[in-house]
Amino acid sequence: MQDDPTLNVNLTRALGESRRLADSIKPGSDRWDVIVVGSGAAGGMAAFQLAMAGVKVLLLEAGRMIDVRTEYRTMEWPYASNRRGRLPPGERPIAVAEYSFLDRPYGSNPAFKKHTKVLSYAGNQFTRNWVVDERQHPTTGTPYSWVRARILGGKTNFWGRGALRYGPLQFGAASRDGFDVDWPISYDDVKPYYDKVDVLLGCSGTNEGLIQVPDGVFQRPSKLNCVEVAFKRAIAKMGRHYIPGRAGVTTDGVLNNKYRARCAGRGRCGRGCDIQAAFHSPTALIYPARDSGNVTVRPYSIVSEVLLGEASNRASGVRVIDANTNEVLDFKAPVVVLGAGTLDTTRILLNSRSTRHPSGLGNSSGLLGCYLSEHLMGIRGSGYIPARIGTETTLDDGRPVSPYIPRFRNLTDRHPDFIRGYHFQGGGGCAEYPTMAHEIAGYGIAFKSSVRRHYPALISLGGFGEVLPRKENRVTLDATVKDAWGIPVLRFDYKFGDNELKMARDMADSIEEMLAAAHAEDIKIEREPLPPGWSIHEIGTARMGDDPRTSVTDRFCRLHDAKNVYIADAAPFVCGGTQNTTWSILALAWRTIDFLKERLRAGDA
Amino acid sequence: MPMQRAAASSCVQVSRRVALKAIGTGIGAVVALPWLSDAGLLAFARIQETNGPPKLRVLSPPQFEALEVLVDAIIPADDRSPGAKQARVADYVDLLLSENDRELTLQWIGGLAALDAEATLRFQAPFSRLGADHVDAILQSISHNEKAPRTALETFFVMAKEATIRGYYTSATGIHEELRYKGNQFLREFVGCETEDGKDCPHCGQKHIQL
Repeated sequence: MQDDPTLNVNLTRALGESRRLADSIKPGSDRWDVIVVGSGAAGGMAAFQLAMAGVKVLLLEAGRMIDVRTEYRTMEWPYASNRRGRLPPGERPIAVAEYSFLDRPYGSNPAFKKHTKVLSYAGNQFTRNWVVDERQHPTTGTPYSWVRARILGGKTNFWGRGALRYGPLQFGAASRDGFDVDWPISYDDVKPYYDKVDVLLGCSGTNEGLIQVPDGVFQRPSKLNCVEVAFKRAIAKMGRHYIPGRAGVTTDGVLNNKYRARCAGRGRCGRGCDIQAAFHSPTALIYPARDSGNVTVRPYSIVSEVLLGEASNRASGVRVIDANTNEVLDFKAPVVVLGAGTLDTTRILLNSRSTRHPSGLGNSSGLLGCYLSEHLMGIRGSGYIPARIGTETTLDDGRPVSPYIPRFRNLTDRHPDFIRGYHFQGGGGCAEYPTMAHEIAGYGIAFKSSVRRHYPALISLGGFGEVLPRKENRVTLDATVKDAWGIPVLRFDYKFGDNELKMARDMADSIEEMLAAAHAEDIKIEREPLPPGWSIHEIGTARMGDDPRTSVTDRFCRLHDAKNVYIADAAPFVCGGTQNTTWSILALAWRTIDFLKERLRAGDA
Repeated sequence: MPMQRAAASSCVQVSRRVALKAIGTGIGAVVALPWLSDAGLLAFARIQETNGPPKLRVLSPPQFEALEVLVDAIIPADDRSPGAKQARVADYVDLLLSENDRELTLQWIGGLAALDAEATLRFQAPFSRLGADHVDAILQSISHNEKAPRTALETFFVMAKEATIRGYYTSATGIHEELRYKGNQFLREFVGCETEDGKDCPHCGQKHIQL
C-alpha cells in the first residue's frame, strides 16, 4: 500500500491509556454517586456539572480515549497524501445514493464485500478513527444515515460548530399552529442555561433581536466576505436577514480552562481543532471535570441496558460490555444519567427489559422510540456574485461557520402549503477547493482561466427544514439483528412527510429567488432532499411531558418510570425547529443536572 | 496591526530558509511562492525534489505518457502557474487506479487506447506524439457533449476531466500557485469584506452603507 503520512496518526498513547483505564476500573473498584453514559456534548456537560459540585461520577464511553495532541489534523493540506483525501484501500464511506437503494444493514450489503471497514457518510481521512464501522453497528428498517462516533467526546470532535438556540417559536410551536403539543417548558426556563453555556464554552455571534433565533452572550463574531455582503444587501430588500454564523468556538478565549486557546481563524473546525478553540467535549468539559478528582472515565464501556433494582422502580446501575474483552460488568450507582445520543440512549432503554417493563424501561406510555425528528437537508442553491467575477483571491474562509439566513416562513404570516419553517446556512468566496470547477465546461487555457475568474465569486447555501414530530416516525429494537456485542440493533421506521416535502419545494424556490435578487449568474438549484438522518440532529424519541401517559420523561428529563434515571441528550426534545441541536443539548443537560443536584442535596435523588 | 504582521512574516521567512536548507531546495522558491505556508512550501519542495521518473503502479510508460499529455491539455501551464503535468496529476491517477476496482482501471486503459486509436486514425501518430494543435483538435471533438456524453471517448473525457480537476486543485501547484489560496493560516482576526469594517472594499468595489 502507498506510504501515506496522513494515516500514520500515532494512537499509542490513547490506546495505552484506554487499556489501562478499562483494566483498572471494575465494578466495586470505587464508589460513585452517579453513572453518566456517553462523553459527547450531553455526557460531557453532565459529568462536568456534577464533578464541579463535588459529586463522584463514573463516566462510561463506548469507544477509546482520544489524544487531542495528535488526532486533530486541522491544518493538513490535501497534498500531504497523493490520495488527496480518499480513504485507504479497504475502507469506504457509504455514498449518498447508496443510503436509499442499498438494503439494510448497510455494512453487510454485498456492495461492500471487498471492504474491511464501512463508514457512514461522515467517515473521511480525519474522522476515520472515530466514526463507527457499520459492520459492527448495523441498523435495519427504512433508510437512515445514522452517524455515530465511539471515541471520547463522540461527535463533538467533528461537529459543524453551528451553535443556535431554540426560542419561543420552538418551545411553543403547537400553540402557534395546532400541530402536536408544546414543550412542557418555555424559552424562559432554558434561557439562563443557554447564557451560561455561552459563557462557559464560548459562542461567537451577533445580537440581532430576532425571535426566530434568540440572541446570546456572544464573543467576537465572524465577518461576512465580499460575496456574502452583496447577497446580504440583496435579500435585505426582501426583508430577510443574512447574519454571521453563530459558532460554538471561542473567539475571545474562555476563563478557567487551561486546555483551550482562542480561535486563530483557520476554518477547518470539522476536522477537530488542534488549539481547542472549537468546543470539543474532552478539552472543554471532561478534562477539567477529571482534574477536579471527581470523575472516573472508563473507555471501552458499551452500555447494553439500565439495571433495575428488584425492590422498587429505581435503577440500580448499568450493564457494560467491555468493547475489547466482551466481559460483562454491572456497575452500580444511586443515579444513572444517559447521554449516549438520542438514538443510542433510546436503544439502551428499549433494551432494558424486565418483568415490570417488558417493552423497555421508560416505555410505560408505549411512546419510547416514537416522534423521531431531525432536519431535512439537501435543498441548496448556488451562483456567482458578479462583483467578484475576475477579481483576485482574498482570504474568505478564516472563520468557524458560514453565515446564516434565519427562518422567515410562518413567523407573522401563514404559508398556505406547510407549517413551521426552514433556514439556510452557507456562504462563499475563495475556498481551499474550487468545487465549481466541476461545473465549468471545456478544457485548456479557457477552462483554467474560467475557474480562476469564478473562484472568488461562488456563493452556495443549503437549507435545514424542520421535520414534524410524528408518532409514526419511530425506532424499535430489531427482533433478530444484533451488533458485534450481541445487543439488539435499532430498526428505523422513518420518512419525510407531506409537510416536509412541500416545505422542500418552497426552500428550493426561495433560494432561487434570493440568488436571483442578488443578480447571481449561473444559478443552480438542488431540489432533492438528502437521505433521512443526514442532519445528525436526531431528537425526540423519549419526549418530555407532564403526563406519563403521553411522554417518557418529566420536564427535567427524568424518566416517569424510574425516578433516578435522567436523560442528558436530545431524546426528550419535543420538537426541534430549524436550529442545529448541540447548543440546546448542552443547555438542557445543564438544567437537568441542576435539578439532579438539588435532589442529591435533598437526599431525594 | 502592521507591526505584528511584519514580525510574523519575518519569522516565517527564517523558518522557511532553515527548512529549505534542510531539504536542499534553493532559496528561490521562497521568493517565488510567498503565499505558501511552511508546511505547503515543504511539501512543494518535496514534490519538486521527486520530479524524476515516477514509479508506476498500474499504467505502462506509454499509457502514462499519454495520460500526462491529456491532463496537461485539460489544465495546461500558463503565465500564472504550471499545468496538470507538472502538478503530477498523472501520478495521482495511477495511485487511484492501483487502489480501485479493476473495472475502473480497464475504463482508463480502454479510454487511453481509444484516444490513441483516434489520434492514429486522424493524424497517423499515437496521442502522446501529437503536436499541440492536433491534441486540441481531438479534445475539441471529445469534449463536445460534456453534459451528456454519448460515445466512449466522450465519456472518457468527462472521467479524465473530473480526475484532473480533483488532482490538480488539491496539489500544491493548484492551491498555492494557481488559486493563490490564502487561508489555512493563523490569523489574529478574520477580516472579510472591508465594508464590514465601515470602509469601501477594494476587493469587490462595494461601498460601505448602513443598512
